[in-house]
Amino acid sequence: MAASDSFGLTVDLALAGLTVGSAAALSGIGLVVCHRATGVLNIAQGAQAMAVAYLLRDLVVVRHWPVWPAVAFCLLLVAPTLGVLLDVLVYRPLQRRGAGPADTMVAGLGVFVLLIGAVVLLWGAPPLAGAPSPLGSAPIRLPGGHALRADTVAQLAAILVLALTVAATTRWTRFGLHLRAVVDDRRLAGLAGVDADRVSAAGWAFGSFTAGLVGIALAPYLLLDPYGLPLLVMETMAVAVAARLRSIPVAVATGLGLGVAQAELTRLHPAGQLLPLVEAVQSNLFVIALLATALLAGPRISGERHGRPAFSAPGAAGGGRGAAAVCLVLLLLPLGFRGNDLRSALLVPALALVLLSIVVVTGYGGQISLGQAGYAGMGALGTALLMSGRVPGLPPMPAAPALLLAVLVTAPLGLLTGWPAIRRRGLALALVTFAVGTAMSRFVFQQPYATTGLTLDRPSFLAGDRAFYVAELVLLGLGAALVRGLHRGRLGRALTAMRDHEAGAVAAGVDVPGLKLLAFVAGAALAALGGGLMGLAGRAFDAASFDPVRGLLWFAAVVVAGADSALGAVLAAALLIGLDAGTVAGVSAVAVGVLAAAIGRFPGGLAALPGRRPAQAPPSLPPGRLTPAGRRVRATIAVRIAREEER
Amino acid sequence: MSGGAARLTARGIVRRYGGIEAVGGVDLVAPAGRITALIGPNGAGKSTLFDCLAGTVKPDAGRVLLGGRDVTRVAAHARVRLGLARTFQQIAVFPTLSVADNVRVGAEQRPDRADVRGRTERALALFGLREMAEESAGAQPTGVLRLVELARALAGEPRVLLLDEPAAGLDSAQTARLVAVLRGLAGRGMALLLVEHDAGLVAELADTVYAMAAGRVVAAGTAAAVLADPRVTRAWGGGA
Repeated sequence: MAASDSFGLTVDLALAGLTVGSAAALSGIGLVVCHRATGVLNIAQGAQAMAVAYLLRDLVVVRHWPVWPAVAFCLLLVAPTLGVLLDVLVYRPLQRRGAGPADTMVAGLGVFVLLIGAVVLLWGAPPLAGAPSPLGSAPIRLPGGHALRADTVAQLAAILVLALTVAATTRWTRFGLHLRAVVDDRRLAGLAGVDADRVSAAGWAFGSFTAGLVGIALAPYLLLDPYGLPLLVMETMAVAVAARLRSIPVAVATGLGLGVAQAELTRLHPAGQLLPLVEAVQSNLFVIALLATALLAGPRISGERHGRPAFSAPGAAGGGRGAAAVCLVLLLLPLGFRGNDLRSALLVPALALVLLSIVVVTGYGGQISLGQAGYAGMGALGTALLMSGRVPGLPPMPAAPALLLAVLVTAPLGLLTGWPAIRRRGLALALVTFAVGTAMSRFVFQQPYATTGLTLDRPSFLAGDRAFYVAELVLLGLGAALVRGLHRGRLGRALTAMRDHEAGAVAAGVDVPGLKLLAFVAGAALAALGGGLMGLAGRAFDAASFDPVRGLLWFAAVVVAGADSALGAVLAAALLIGLDAGTVAGVSAVAVGVLAAAIGRFPGGLAALPGRRPAQAPPSLPPGRLTPAGRRVRATIAVRIAREEER
Repeated sequence: MSGGAARLTARGIVRRYGGIEAVGGVDLVAPAGRITALIGPNGAGKSTLFDCLAGTVKPDAGRVLLGGRDVTRVAAHARVRLGLARTFQQIAVFPTLSVADNVRVGAEQRPDRADVRGRTERALALFGLREMAEESAGAQPTGVLRLVELARALAGEPRVLLLDEPAAGLDSAQTARLVAVLRGLAGRGMALLLVEHDAGLVAELADTVYAMAAGRVVAAGTAAAVLADPRVTRAWGGGA
């Protein structure tokens, strides 16, 4: 009797897990198909999903459209149009320019940030309830007394239809042939008469359509907010990464499997201290999967070609005295502020320190790091825990030593992203660092101990906002001096060499692995310092301030403002805080998003606009190399296409 | 310098990719004061062997000796610091650094860090790079970049220099200068090992030639003997 009960529970949990699992599988199908058609991992998928979900809610709840026409409008018209627009306006210019995966990723982040900003502008940042569920959650009875939700059934059906349609299209149609040709070699396919643009437009339209589908499927389970849903969808990237961005069956199986496994884990109820951890795993299995798959996939999905600069930081260092003067004025201006204006301005030097960490890791070292928000949060949380006397064996500390100790403890955590960076580049590194940041957010910041009873009071001599601001400026000055030191002399040249040409740096004798670790450790320390100051500025630890999605916005802002210079960090911080405080929340994200997405039109971003030296192209780009099998396939495809054209 | 002593030795190097043996048990010696050349058709395994020697690829079997020291397990950048420098077929320079800084990066990685300025200056002068020393490397033409890369390698004063098609992209004047420089380096006791497609250059420069095909050494000896070997001419499709 007990055994059959247990079996019944297992089945019920598995069926419940299919709800999230099938949404993840749909997300995986969208990413894989889009990647096969365009060669780009749609990093903005989560934001697209969120935007479509918001639009549907608006149409149905606010404008009282009937549900089904609204769904059709969103999925069949708006989402695909958005995809094609992104292709034409953002990705195609990049492709034409032969941009590397780093630029493509920045553009994708730009789209991500732009959509978030647009949603915040249109519908506000506070969470909204009542996302419509077109099919409802009415149970459909199954034999054996089990039940499956109606929307889950629809999602499973959608998976089946989409997977079969994609398979049939790829295998038996002319379009599928073109698709395979484009996947193999875009330029050659173009020479052979394949309209590569049409293939990529179709890929983006499909990717955007499935993103919308995922958004509509997941939204009813959550409060709609501009950060939560995109993050959830980004976590499902694990599914596509596990499929090596190629195999739809693997993506579907992984998605469903993770969903079911996550549901089954709820049966574990360990006693005592393990419980919070197990509960965190139960609700965040996809984060663990993303971390694991990104680590295991290794360099294979980097999208990098040998010999390309790891990250083509725009422009020349410095940006001249003009930019320095602008930064100085921006930083000194708030000393004349009072009240709420001054309180908002407190975040500028703190955020600038966090962004300096991106300058060091990405701008100087050429290593993409999307996880710096995690280190900032570690700094803030560590300071709070130390000040509250919550670290076993240590008495409550005053703010200054707590901050210092938090920075020292966080610095070695930089190895968490530095170590994977030794053998990973480009997309693979971006995913690993993002996953590390997300794991910190989910498993460390959002735990009960971090949300209650923490104090972050400033010492009495810094209680006044103006005094604290001055103290922040001093620390920012120290941070900037440290960063300038890193960019000078032997170490600076070695860092630049590593960024410009990693293999060349090794050949010159530069200790590239050691240098990467150093960059990530220094970055973690800077981010922790900035994060700690952010916490002290607001006198509270707020996990939402260090949300991984916010980290993406920070990354894009630094790249746009000039990742190769400490001034870029200050400009970006002033832009992010000042624009939103001075206008409406969301404006800064829209501005950063537009500029980052336009990186294909203005190579090198803001920094390359008149007045600065343009970023230089690498002196020679190696030709793509095919295996003998690849060459045979290429020849066969060219012949087949030629034959088809003759007919 | 003791001419003829083995500076770089490869013993039984094997490297497989998947099931394919790219290098199938190669023995090779690059003696001090000599120019040794590695020739062979595309896919013969030259580049993989090169990478195994430089340390960017780990061999599945075999040993690499630098002087008397086994460096098989030494990381690539550490081999450079021990005196094993290399250049690439696809030019590897740092476009956002100046020409002088490109060379300086090579000069200042040695553990002792002695005389960085002098070694940088000498390497720049050796290739006539002084006049563009402060210009951005990214702005230089291909021929100059090859010399910049070579100057960077020499600025560390290596004892062994691995050159992957050093004359590709050079005009005849630059090639002549390169030949003179390489001969001079060998004359001062350096061991040089080059992969080269240009049979004329090989004949002109190399003291010893190893011909590879399908991952193995099929002929070794003096340039004249190896280039005339029927196995080599056949493998090279008469290109030699």
